[in-house]
Parts: sequence; C-alpha cells; structure tokens
Amino acid sequence: VKLLALGVDYRSAPAAVREALAFDGPKHSEALDALTRAFPTPGNEFVVLSTCNRVEIYAAGDLDGVPESEALTNFLAAFHGLSASTFSGHLVSYHDEGVIGHLFRVSASLESLVLGEGQILGQVREAYRTALDRKTTGPILNRVFEHALRVGKKVREDTGMDQGKLSIASVAVDVAREVFDTFADKTVLVIGAGKMGDLTLQHLKALRPGQILIANRNPARAEAAAARWGGKAVPFDRLNLALIEADLVVSTTAADEPVVEYEQYARVQRARKNRLGLILDIAIPRDFDPRIGELEQVMLYNVDDLRAQAEENRKRRQRGVDPALAIIEREATACFTAVRHLRHSGTVLRQLGDTWDTIREREVATCLATCPDLNDAQREAITHMARRLQNQYLHHPRAAIRMAAAEPTLEQPHTLLNAVRHLFGLADG
Amino acid sequence: MERLTVLCFAGTYALALLSELARVVVRAPARWYLTVGLTVLGWMVQTAYLINLGRASHHLPVTSVFESLLALSWIFAAIGLYLMARAPKPVAVGTFVLPVVVAFTVLAGTSAPRESGWGEAWGGPTVFWGSVHGLFLLAGAVSTCVAFAAGLMYLVQADRLKRKRPNRLGFGLPSLEQSERLNRGAITLAFPLLTFGLLIGVVLSLTARAESGPRVLSWSDPKVVSALLMWLVFAVLLHARYRPALRGRGVVVLTIIAFAFLVFTWVGVEALHLPTAHGHGPGQSAPTRAASPSAFAESAGRAL
Repeated sequence: VKLLALGVDYRSAPAAVREALAFDGPKHSEALDALTRAFPTPGNEFVVLSTCNRVEIYAAGDLDGVPESEALTNFLAAFHGLSASTFSGHLVSYHDEGVIGHLFRVSASLESLVLGEGQILGQVREAYRTALDRKTTGPILNRVFEHALRVGKKVREDTGMDQGKLSIASVAVDVAREVFDTFADKTVLVIGAGKMGDLTLQHLKALRPGQILIANRNPARAEAAAARWGGKAVPFDRLNLALIEADLVVSTTAADEPVVEYEQYARVQRARKNRLGLILDIAIPRDFDPRIGELEQVMLYNVDDLRAQAEENRKRRQRGVDPALAIIEREATACFTAVRHLRHSGTVLRQLGDTWDTIREREVATCLATCPDLNDAQREAITHMARRLQNQYLHHPRAAIRMAAAEPTLEQPHTLLNAVRHLFGLADG
Repeated sequence: MERLTVLCFAGTYALALLSELARVVVRAPARWYLTVGLTVLGWMVQTAYLINLGRASHHLPVTSVFESLLALSWIFAAIGLYLMARAPKPVAVGTFVLPVVVAFTVLAGTSAPRESGWGEAWGGPTVFWGSVHGLFLLAGAVSTCVAFAAGLMYLVQADRLKRKRPNRLGFGLPSLEQSERLNRGAITLAFPLLTFGLLIGVVLSLTARAESGPRVLSWSDPKVVSALLMWLVFAVLLHARYRPALRGRGVVVLTIIAFAFLVFTWVGVEALHLPTAHGHGPGQSAPTRAASPSAFAESAGRAL
C-alpha cells in the first residue's frame, strides 16, 4: 500500500501561489479526470482538496502504481500551465501513515488558519464527494476519507474546539442570542456610524432583526448608513425615544464623553417597562456609563468584555489541541492498520482465487480429455460441478479473511493471512 | 409487575441525572442519548407503576399525597423530556428538570402518606369533587414546577451574562427571553388552576364541616394556612407580572418562594409531622407517616 499527499497551504505558500494552483469550479472534476488519465495504473485512487487556504492531491494505490512527488509536481505544472519551479519550493508532501494523520488534522481543523473553524470539514466532505462522483476513489481512499470525516466530527464534539467565536463582532452576535430568542420582533439601534459599528451590524443583520434604527450626530451619515443597512435614520436629539424603542443597542461613536448617563438610561429603562435590553458599547472611550449594566434586565457589554470573551474562546480552543491530537494519533494508527489489512487481505483473496482457478481449469481439462465421448451437456455439468466445488471449498477461508480484514486492531502481517498463504502455497504479496 | 417499586424509576431518574450532570466533562452525543434514554425508561416504568396503582385502587392515582407526588413527578418528567428533545443538545434543560423529578419521587417514596380516607369516608359527589380538587391542584403544581425550573435557568443565565462569563463548555442554557417567557406563561397558567383547586377544597371542607362538625378541616390547619399563603404568593406573583419594576429577578425570586410553599403544602406538613386533617374523612384521625425509608423499596407491592 502506498499513500501520498502533495500540495500547498497558507503556511507553505503565499496566496498568489495557492491561487495559481487552485482547482476552482469545473477545474476540480477536470483535475480528477486528468489524474486518472495521467496515472492510469489499475488500483490508483485520487482525491483533490482545494480551498482558499490549501490545495492538496491525495493519491493511493499499489507500491509501484502511485505516482511519485515529482510526477505529481509535473502534473500540477502541466495542468495549470505553470513552470514547476514557480511553486515546487512551496510544496509539502506526506507519505503513508503521515497522509492519514495529516488529513485527520485537516478535517479536525487543527491545520486551519482559524483553529477550530467549521468550514473545513464540509470542504473535505465535498472534495471526497466529487472524487466519488468522478469514480477516482477506491477501497483505500474511501476508507481513509470516511474515517477522516468521522474523526473531524468526533474531535469537535469531544474537545469543543468549534465552540465560541473568535472575533469581537461574532462574539457580540453570540451574546445577543443568549439574551434574545427571536429577533424578528426586535429593534436594533446603532449609535454612531463607525467602521466597527458597520462590522457588528453586518453580523447582527444575519439575525434578521425586525427594525434597524441609526442615530448619528451627522444626519447625512445616519441617512447613508440607514440606506446601506435598510434601516431608519433617527435624529440624534431624539436618541432617548430611540433607546426606549430599541431592544439591542450598538454604540460606536467617537465621543469623548459618555453619550448616555446612568440616570438617563434608568429613566429610559422605566419607560421601556423594564424589558430585556442588550447594549453593545464598542466605542472607545465608552458611550454608556458602566453602571447602566447594573440595572435590572439590562446587559451591558463593552469592547473589552467582548474581546475578553473572544480571547477566552481562543484559549479554550487551544486547550482542545492536545486532546484532539491524541484522538487523531489513535485514529490514524487504527485507520492505517485497517487500510493495510484491507490491502493484504485483498491480495491474498485474489491470489487464492487465481491459484484455484488455474487448478480447476487444469483438472477439468484433464478429466474431459480422458472422456472424449461426453456430449456438451455432460461436459458443461462437469465444469459446473468443479466450479461449485471450488466455491464451496473456498467459502470459509474467504469469509475468515474478510473478517480479519474488518478487524483493524490486529498486528500486521496478520497471522491468518500468513497461514492461508502458507497452507495454499501462495506467493508473498 | 408486582415487583415494580418506586426505587425502580427513582433510581433510573437518578442515573439519568448523573448522566446529565456529566455533561461538563463528557461532550460526546452518546451522553445526551443516555440521559434521554434513561429518562424515557424511568418514565415508562413510572407509567406502568401508576397504571398498577390506579387498577388496584379503582380510581385515578391522585387521591393521596403519595400518589399525587408521583403523578406530579410523572407529568413534570414528561414535560422535561419534551423540552430536552426540543432544545439543542448542549442546552442543559435536564440539569434543572431531573433534580425536581428525582426529589419528588424520593419524597413520595420516603415521606408521603400513602392512604387517603376520602373514598371510604364520604359518598360519590364528594369523591368526585375531591378528585377534581386534586387534579386542578396537580395541574397547578406542574405549572409551578415548570415556572420554577425556567426561573432557575433565567437566574443562572442572567448571572453569567452580568458577570460577562463565557458559556461553560457543554453547559448551554436557553436565552433569557425564552426562560422568562416560559416562566411567565407557567405562572399565568398556574394561578387560575391553583385558585380553582383551592376553592373546590374550601367548598368541600365547608360542606364536610356542615355535615360532621368542626373536626374535619379547620382554617388553622397547617395545610390550609400553607395553601392560603401559597395562593397569596401567587397572587403577588401575578400582580408582579404586570408591574415592570418587578420584572426579571424579582419575579423569579417570587417563583422560587411560591415553589417552596407548594412543596411545603404538598409534602412538608406530613414530613414535619404537623397535625393535619386534610384528606381524611370525618371521624378519622390524622394518619401517622405511612411510609418509612424501608417502605421505599416495597411501595408497589403494598399498594397492590
């Protein structure tokens, strides 16, 4: 068995190289077809994984069938019409068990630019599906990729590596979800129209709030932001009324003094009939008096709170790395053992069949030669009987070998396979 | 079936609770399935037990404190199961529901009187209205339990958000709005149910008093006093719902007080050996505690 993974990722190659080597859209299927044409040895298997952060070709098959790294490099150059020297220095390769470990780490997003990000598992699944559609996979890569998808899921579930957002804006959305259940009946008020406010609103917009109000000292900027976000501009001198109406406030002004004082918001909260309210004060210096957060039913988060939570999430993901690696190491070893079992048992089964076919055909021919008076029906009956005898005789050995192949924990080479080889006089595969 | 005991389902619920609490260390989906599976199993065993109880006594198993506590935990477990199945797996609904279920089944098995003199002491209409009284109070108690669990979830979530702490891994909670809505809805439902149930109880008591003299159930009976206080707390609670100043934590704290009164009224009076004539026919003396801890494991056999 031979496995090879060759490609570039965000660590080994700049964006320009990754872009040049990417298999976007129809190129993906074309590349798989081109690989099978370029390396037509029976038993060769290929999967191409192409994302914005990595481009990798996975190849598997017999020892003498799978192309070497150089051949795959030349293939990449020919396919993209590039000179190999422009990217060969950025290529990274993995071999045999290393391929499985690498793919498992990729699926578990340990190799991602943002640790624990959720997209990569879907991208691996998509790459595998495309290869299945193009019929470029076989028993080895089927097993490896299906195992990788399971491992990716398991790592996320067991270590919580995908939990908690890492950017301030997405943490703000998480906090909003922890306060409110539905957003279609909620009003979002954005005070100020800064870059950070835009970014946060971009994330909050995904929650589909019922109404967006924009308040800015500069009416023109308020109107522009309202037009951009499909909201309503509110005159700044009517801020209190907007605060009463709002359920979620995002404040991002550049004011030197607090825009909303404690007493002012206490009156607003009374007018709001003490409804649940969330204030995301992401301005520096802060727009809301911090004591407002002590009011009943009001949750006040400033930029430091959001940043601290993002940092805590980052640390939490980092803490999941060691347990994730332990899972991956265990699973990669099990997977590689299973692949080798599969390959060995496949070879033994094939050899067993071939050897007995030869014996049967020879013996049937000898038998028929000694009885020239037999008619066609009798000859056919003898041939059929010999075939059935062979099948029945080999049924149990074949079943035992298949069972051994399904057991990935046993050491290689499997004693049963060796015993079968020895008993039936098969050559070492 | 006769070997079915309270211990069977109380133990299964306790195991489900342990599995639920393990969510902080075990995050595999198998843990969630184990929790739900054990709860379903406990609930099914409890269903069979209650059916047995009903068949043996030829009435709905809600007439004694023992039976009504079991019925209460049975309905609350069903609601908990529904909420667990509906909420995303990381949301720890079971952490707030299963302790109440376990506590009620254990209280029923250890401290609740199993006999009620209603059927033997009085005639048909009284038994009928006694059952209606019990059913309304049971429904009100279920609503109170839901309000209590939702209130606790609200308090924990609000405290975490006020302190700006990130969610503990594997221990999610419903949003504040969701908990508040569930709490509010349950209170609104509980109040009329409890009021109607208590009113029927008062009328029954007055009727019995007219027929048999003042030995039946007096206004100073601890159970009556406790029930009236509980009703008062509920009245305040309902009033608080419409008073913005008391929204949020104020309502939740009142819910917890109301729940405490409910538990005291339901089982506390008997557990503390306070003299009560509630649930006993004219001329009957107040029963002693029928269930000792040793009876916990043999309840069904005796009941049958």
